[in-house]
Amino acid sequence: MQAETIGLGGNRRAVIYRGGDGPPLVWLHSLYGVEADAPVVDRLSERYAVVAPLAPGFADLDELESIRDIHDLALHYDDILDALHLENVVAAGHSFGAMIGAELAAHVRNRVSRLVLLSPLGLWNDDYPVADLFGVPPVDVPRLLYADPSRAPGSGPQPDVESVIALARGMTTVARFLWPIPDRGLSRRLHRVKAPTLVVHGAEDRFVPRAYADDFVALLPNASRAIIPGAGHMLTVEALDQTLSTVNAFLNGSLTPAGAAPPMAAEPQRGSGVTAPTQRRGDGSVAQ
Amino acid sequence: MKFHFFHLMPYPDLPDDFRDRYHGVWVDLPAAELFDAAVGHQAYNDYLDELEYADQVGFDGICVNEHHQNAYGLMPSPNLMVAALARRTSRARLVVMGDSVALYNPPTRVAEETAMLDVLSGGRLVAGFPVGTPMDTTYCYGETPATLRDKYREGVELVLRAWQADRPFAFNGRYTQLRYVNIWPRPMQKPHPPVWIPGSGSVETWDWCAEHNFLYAYLSYFGYLRGRRVMEGFWDAVSQRGLEPNPYRAGFLQFVAVADNDAEAERLYARHALYFYNRCLHLYPGFSSPPGYTSLATIRQGIEGQIKLAADRNKELQDLTWSQILDRGYVVAGSPDTVVQRLTEMEQTLRVGHLMVLLHFGNMPKETVTYNTTRFAEEIMPRLRPMWAEWQDEWWPKPVAAPDETHLEDASRRGVGSERAVAVAAEPGGS
Repeated sequence: MQAETIGLGGNRRAVIYRGGDGPPLVWLHSLYGVEADAPVVDRLSERYAVVAPLAPGFADLDELESIRDIHDLALHYDDILDALHLENVVAAGHSFGAMIGAELAAHVRNRVSRLVLLSPLGLWNDDYPVADLFGVPPVDVPRLLYADPSRAPGSGPQPDVESVIALARGMTTVARFLWPIPDRGLSRRLHRVKAPTLVVHGAEDRFVPRAYADDFVALLPNASRAIIPGAGHMLTVEALDQTLSTVNAFLNGSLTPAGAAPPMAAEPQRGSGVTAPTQRRGDGSVAQ
Repeated sequence: MKFHFFHLMPYPDLPDDFRDRYHGVWVDLPAAELFDAAVGHQAYNDYLDELEYADQVGFDGICVNEHHQNAYGLMPSPNLMVAALARRTSRARLVVMGDSVALYNPPTRVAEETAMLDVLSGGRLVAGFPVGTPMDTTYCYGETPATLRDKYREGVELVLRAWQADRPFAFNGRYTQLRYVNIWPRPMQKPHPPVWIPGSGSVETWDWCAEHNFLYAYLSYFGYLRGRRVMEGFWDAVSQRGLEPNPYRAGFLQFVAVADNDAEAERLYARHALYFYNRCLHLYPGFSSPPGYTSLATIRQGIEGQIKLAADRNKELQDLTWSQILDRGYVVAGSPDTVVQRLTEMEQTLRVGHLMVLLHFGNMPKETVTYNTTRFAEEIMPRLRPMWAEWQDEWWPKPVAAPDETHLEDASRRGVGSERAVAVAAEPGGS
């Protein structure tokens, strides 16, 4: 992946990673930046021309001076895709990035053609609260993010000050949009999302419980979900193959003409009678 | 130099196995399980008695502060405590150390309450404005860590303007928008009460205090050797701005235990110090470092705040001992000679004109606090008092009238702020 910096209106800039060939796919990174997502991004770039913006703040906290709330953030991504001439594009995001993807698709309805949300943040339910990732010591974070905490990448014996600073910048940014409750009103906007959406969740996500996948599907006009067994929040690390095959099936189905076989990996939403995301539109009508 | 009696007002009845049963003293410690209102009633009244006693025996200031959802300090509102003290004391300055401005909505509430206290007390108020601990601000009050300091500074600017504005004004801030700012009452002290900033080692705060001429106070539980680096950073910021290194720009907090000798100090004070360090400072590390609370510049300097130090130490999961507390300088204890010698050394190292002392530790009974307070006032203060006499204290409240002369009739007859009123103002401690 190659990084470049592009200029945007309002004296803003954005760092973009690009790589791979194929139809364009926008990757919205998880809690730790594009480079930390390298395995999933590399694999996606085998099939797609991946465009992966670095969230504002991750490179420079001053970027958040002009991006102060979730609406600024969604429109910042719209600006990025506008600058890259990506009009109606597939967007896939993980965790914090999935929240951004959902916000972008809800704010700018025609920007996203297909939406993939991997263990998305953005909703809150008192019956199964999102765990407080920021309220545990660093040593306990893997237990929240991984079904098997031993799968968490080690941070090395003595991290140098620059990597400590980089981590602090990223988490400061994430916390800016998730603190103290990761609910910025997305539930009031999800009905606006036009793009057929796939929600993928790890069955053993201790950070964002899997029940949130159902909440997303219930609020999105045109969505289905898939649950990955044995995976936690970081399903791109713990179950990369299975996650990607699910995503590819969804995207393949949607990229072929209508009437193609429904994606096999996607489970239908309980009780909705929907079997595949391509078969229901936002207005409830059935695709021809 | 000046001496201030600081009270944390801890909850004094945490169980012996507290550290084993609960992960921390702050934020989510179940109040329904541990807080007994009868204990609280006794504690509040004892603590206010102890602060009033400090006024009677000649302390220059009495200090309270603000914390939330914890057994470490039972003062969600320091202003309520000072309201009570304003009516029951007459000489000591009332040092609120202080109001966490970002937690008041709108922050003009702080301007109003401090103005009330200043007028009520006849101009004896020191207005302290801390950012607040991570636990208080981000976990208990839900402030976003990344914007907390910006919001705090905007709030302090608003308070300063609200105190002094010539006419009503509109305030269009990032965090507060008010069409009309026009507080009633206004402070008695002109242009406004002294502003003291309790710091925890953030590098930006040094510059900010120097720039605004605010007093900087380092509230340390870990002794002056730990505090040295922080105070050196502050004095560097002062000197870089070409300001005089006036010791009265600075304050420092220290536990002190006065006795006949080391053995009596241990007998009287050790278990109460251990209660404080092992229970009141039993901090859950998960609540010590919310992302964005500590600036990148401060991380880069490698300076860790009090809370992080305490929480990290807590990971050792071993109780501190009295000898460790003494060896590390957390508590200055012993005979008057020992205490004077240690505090003199501390003063020379840190260069602070305002020494804040904690003479109540953890769960210390009132008789012991009274004993410690009396001995400090009679045997320590007079010997240290002459230090820094060559400097003027510009960060000190100047009561407009001696409080016992501020009767409404008198005030209306002579006019508040007249020369006579200034002349009769009590100046305990001088300098």
